[in-house]
Amino acid sequence: MSERYRIGVDIGGTFTDLVMLDTGTGRLYNDKVLTTPRDPSVGVLEGIGRILAANGVSASEVEHVIHGTTLVANAVIERRGSTVALITTRGFGDVLQIGTEWRYDTYDLFMKLPEPLVPRHLRLEVTERVGPDGRILEPLDEADVVRVARQIASGGVATVAVSLLHSFRNPAHERRIREILAREAPEVAVCLSSDVMPEIGEYERASTTVCNAYVLPVFKHYLRRLTDGLRRIGVRKDLYLMLSDGGTVHESTAAAYPVRLVQSGPAGGVQAISAIGRVAGESNLLCFDMGGTTAKACLVDDGQPLRTTEFEVARVYRFKKGSGLPLRVPVIEMIEIGAGGGSIARVDHLGLVQIGPESSSADPGPACYGRGGRDATVTDADLVLGYLSADSFLGGDMRLDVAAAQDALHRAVGAPLGLSVIDAAWAIHETVNENMAQAASIHALEKAKRLSDYVMVPIGGAGPVHACNIALKLGLPRVLCPLGAGVASALGFLVAPVAFTLVQGGVVPLDELDRVALRASLADMQRKGLEMVQAAGAAPGEATVAYVAAMRYVGQGYDIDVLVDAQALAEEDGHSLRAAFDAAYLAQFNRIEAGMPVEIVSWRVTVSGADPGVDLVAGRPLAAHGDARRGSRKVYFGPRSGFVDAPVYDRYRLAPGSRFEGPAVFEERESTTVVPPGAVAQIDAALNLVVELPIEAAEGLQS
Amino acid sequence: MSSNQAFSALQVGVLWRRLNALMDETAQTFVRTSFSSVVRDNWDLAVSLMDSQGRMFAQSSRSVPSFIGTMPRTLAAMLLRYPAETLQPGDVLVSNDGYIGTGHLNDITMVRPIHRNGRLIAFVGSVFHSVDIGGAPSIDARDSFAEGLTIPVAKIVRAGVENEDVVAFLTENLRAPDETLGDIRAQFAAYGLCITRLLKMLDAEGIDDLDRFVGEILDRSEASMRRSIVAIPDGVYGDSLLVDGFEEPLRIQCEIRVTGDSLTVDFAGTSPQIDRPINSVLNFTTAYSAYAIKCALDPTVPNNDGCFRPVTITAPEGSLLNPRRPAPIWGRHLSGHYLPAVIFSALAERLPGRVIADCGSPIWNVYFAGRLRSGRRFVKMFFMNGGHGARPAEDGPSCLSFPSNIATVPIEQFENSVPLLITEKALIPDSGGAGQYRGGLAQRVSFRVTAESPVQMTIRHERVRFPPRGLLGGMPGRAGRDYVNGKLVAAKARIDLAPGDDVTFETPGGGGYGPPAARDPALIATDLREGLVTAAGVAASYPAVLPRVVSDV
Repeated sequence: MSERYRIGVDIGGTFTDLVMLDTGTGRLYNDKVLTTPRDPSVGVLEGIGRILAANGVSASEVEHVIHGTTLVANAVIERRGSTVALITTRGFGDVLQIGTEWRYDTYDLFMKLPEPLVPRHLRLEVTERVGPDGRILEPLDEADVVRVARQIASGGVATVAVSLLHSFRNPAHERRIREILAREAPEVAVCLSSDVMPEIGEYERASTTVCNAYVLPVFKHYLRRLTDGLRRIGVRKDLYLMLSDGGTVHESTAAAYPVRLVQSGPAGGVQAISAIGRVAGESNLLCFDMGGTTAKACLVDDGQPLRTTEFEVARVYRFKKGSGLPLRVPVIEMIEIGAGGGSIARVDHLGLVQIGPESSSADPGPACYGRGGRDATVTDADLVLGYLSADSFLGGDMRLDVAAAQDALHRAVGAPLGLSVIDAAWAIHETVNENMAQAASIHALEKAKRLSDYVMVPIGGAGPVHACNIALKLGLPRVLCPLGAGVASALGFLVAPVAFTLVQGGVVPLDELDRVALRASLADMQRKGLEMVQAAGAAPGEATVAYVAAMRYVGQGYDIDVLVDAQALAEEDGHSLRAAFDAAYLAQFNRIEAGMPVEIVSWRVTVSGADPGVDLVAGRPLAAHGDARRGSRKVYFGPRSGFVDAPVYDRYRLAPGSRFEGPAVFEERESTTVVPPGAVAQIDAALNLVVELPIEAAEGLQS
Repeated sequence: MSSNQAFSALQVGVLWRRLNALMDETAQTFVRTSFSSVVRDNWDLAVSLMDSQGRMFAQSSRSVPSFIGTMPRTLAAMLLRYPAETLQPGDVLVSNDGYIGTGHLNDITMVRPIHRNGRLIAFVGSVFHSVDIGGAPSIDARDSFAEGLTIPVAKIVRAGVENEDVVAFLTENLRAPDETLGDIRAQFAAYGLCITRLLKMLDAEGIDDLDRFVGEILDRSEASMRRSIVAIPDGVYGDSLLVDGFEEPLRIQCEIRVTGDSLTVDFAGTSPQIDRPINSVLNFTTAYSAYAIKCALDPTVPNNDGCFRPVTITAPEGSLLNPRRPAPIWGRHLSGHYLPAVIFSALAERLPGRVIADCGSPIWNVYFAGRLRSGRRFVKMFFMNGGHGARPAEDGPSCLSFPSNIATVPIEQFENSVPLLITEKALIPDSGGAGQYRGGLAQRVSFRVTAESPVQMTIRHERVRFPPRGLLGGMPGRAGRDYVNGKLVAAKARIDLAPGDDVTFETPGGGGYGPPAARDPALIATDLREGLVTAAGVAASYPAVLPRVVSDV
């Protein structure tokens, strides 16, 4: 048992967070270092060196380093990828630019569309055609491919994306093009759409493949630096990475499919929350991560985060759906709201309080940071209302300037509306909470979920400050605040199993399903998945396989995920597949159409290793002892109650079983949990702060 | 709380957002349980709340512009038949009368009253598109009777009980009654959710007098629009354009009169109505005019009646833009989609930074009808957008939907559902109008019939005779074209295609903005390198820069 430490590393915008697990004792250690944006591997290596040294662990004792990064998303957002050429079926090179033809903003005459990652002169066409059933209608013109390949070889192209019509049904032509490119242009890397994302939809498939090709060289280079660095400091084991759907893979898999890491960091946070929920005996969670510029929300159902294969990267307007480049990759489904601690408040042309989406950056930041920021932000309002304290922000490392906050609030909102500073602050606090509650409510409705069945789990600096108020608005009776939520993503990397999802599209009516071919195709996907998770260290016996079919009524545009058991696949007729679809459809739409034919749009096969079984109770001994009470302060809970005297506690000193009645304030280094009057808070065995809200008094948005 | 209650900015802001979100949730509930793909995929629907006076104060945000402001007018017409004081809780009124609704029979509007403590306080209403409405709509229709069933204003639900007579009428007259009735019943469920939440919200916020609160929303929206109008100098601004029409071109004449903080859009001088299905009833004319005004003047305020209090929209009775019954109206977008273009060009001299050149619209679509290999009948619609007009400081995007907002169907989805192959979908070089800023490019979309039996094709395209115009010195975009087997065909036609036939559509390109001579040569060089313009195109449109640009590239 020489290699018994696992380290999770999450590179954020400002900090690189680290969590180290001692698999021998179950003990968890945290640390953070500044992110090094120019070469993030520098910060990672420094952080690993530091957490090892601080705890007297040698690099040779490290079993796993598991890593999540925003590098892929940032490379696309900042357009720092490589030069990509796209090869398409003749007549369809412009599909990448034409896109959906849909306006994401009905009223904005000047709405901008994202520039395609491949300019038109590098979108190259070859003669070939595959039909919708996968039959070859026109053979591949190989001379055409050679011509295109030579053009590519001569002109500064680093990667080639190949995306032909219906290639997800028959990849033969794409594969042949790869062979010819290997001969004619051996220097370029090649990504096939039938490999990266074999699903129906030529625009989204091409966009995904192009994006993969665009970040591939940058990401490979980064991985090489990181793995070299790990070897240099003495870590003998391979590197693992977290994918956007919360699965963990070996570095070699990640290097081939970097687009799958587009939401790697946030996925870790959700995995951590899911694990924390499991320990607390809660399986339906509303994860709520509110940071400096945005808030993210995600639903966890029966212990599993909701997933989707629809994603968008590099939006022109960050919070406008449709303004980005579409990707089809397995991701944990999250909504992002333009509301964080740094969101700027103002009075709009309707005379109403408007929050965000503009945000004060970290520097100068909110007015109360005292660094010259003049904008009134959510953090300024929280300070004036007593939700934050001037003396204990960031563990007291940063004194907040109340007068500057008051001044900014007066200028931005108080004076224009004729409100006192307190009323202005309350208007901001309420408005931002309302915005988030509405966003969560609409998301739940889209997913056909009743939020009152969920427990809210807030993370991020501003999450626990606002959580109880938002939960009351949503009619959620319980809020579970984990300790040390600031490093949730890094923790999530440690608690998630090794897993990889393969996708295969192909629209087939259920009554025309060729079961022999289907079983062969699924077996092939399963075999590939097993290879990947075994390469990532999973023992053959412990791997599990889950099959999900995306199904719909023939003629519908939306499909739903149907979990299919192996038994149903073995059956010769379609009864159990149909029954599984009916049950899933009924659950989501509250009705079924008995006579309507059903079709399968695509299959997802997820192969997972064993749960790493991190003990979150044993891993979290009390950090400090002694009297937790730090005095009290006045906190504003609305015009009816006004300012109320609330006791303040040091979160790190609260032992399991402690019980408190609201109002109460619980401070930790990165955040503050505010518990309103009438609520009851308790510390559970894993040191979570569990708040029971007086829900009968709540004005839930959802009835 | 007394009915004189004053509302704080916080309360107005929070509750207004909540009401708008409630409309989005109600629409989402409808869409999730709907049956038709036009509702699910195209969101061809809107949900609105009106107060006891019939003033619309909140509407679902994702919608097509056709439904702006129509519902209060439809409600007013409905209340003539069933006065408000006679309505029972649980009643639902219905009608698809195009002349009181949204301009064609395919849109069905329904309204349910909302009672609180025995008093009628509001209405929730919705409108949605039913692909089939009976009858035989076609480009040859000479009156609206041919275009399908008209449901007169009727109670489809009486005090919570479905009216079986109305349902039977629908069932017997529609080709796909299950789908349409399924969509209708999905809306009943959505109304239920909406009403429960609205009443709960009013109780929780202590709002006794909803009309007063609505007044607050409308007043603020109105003030915002008036501030935008005041910024335009008083005066009369006019323009006109020509519509391809059928045998003869038709004229749309527009005059905008700005007086202080209000304006009037007057379509006097527009061609008389014709006995072909491209007449735009006044509600549809109003919707697209109001949409254009909102886009140009005050795009961010959530849509409600207050926004349009300072705006009057009129068109002479009996004209193309305000026809008398029973003029045929099925393809009303073929005139209505021109209205933003003529309003923008009328305002261009006074609001040069706020408007765009003509887009390649009315939207182009094609219907294919035939038999699958299994023998089953199919009807499939395919949408193709033209180039977007250039903007005051930017080229127009290529192939972007405006003013309607309808996405294209993926080629692979299309080919999976019908026996046709798409053989090309590509930008057309030189199709964007030249200018300081270039119009968006149009597209060429080609189909080949792979069915074993004939396929009937219906097209109804505009901007073939008169291309999208440039603005303030910008040049027009390229006109659209339709081909069968390489030969030009009429743009409004029903054509029988044989197996193996090829069809090609070339949508219209967007107009340019500002004089071509003012275009940055670097942009021309980029366009040339990217193949968005050809050397010949540059020679024709930007002769002065040609030698330099060509040598650069």
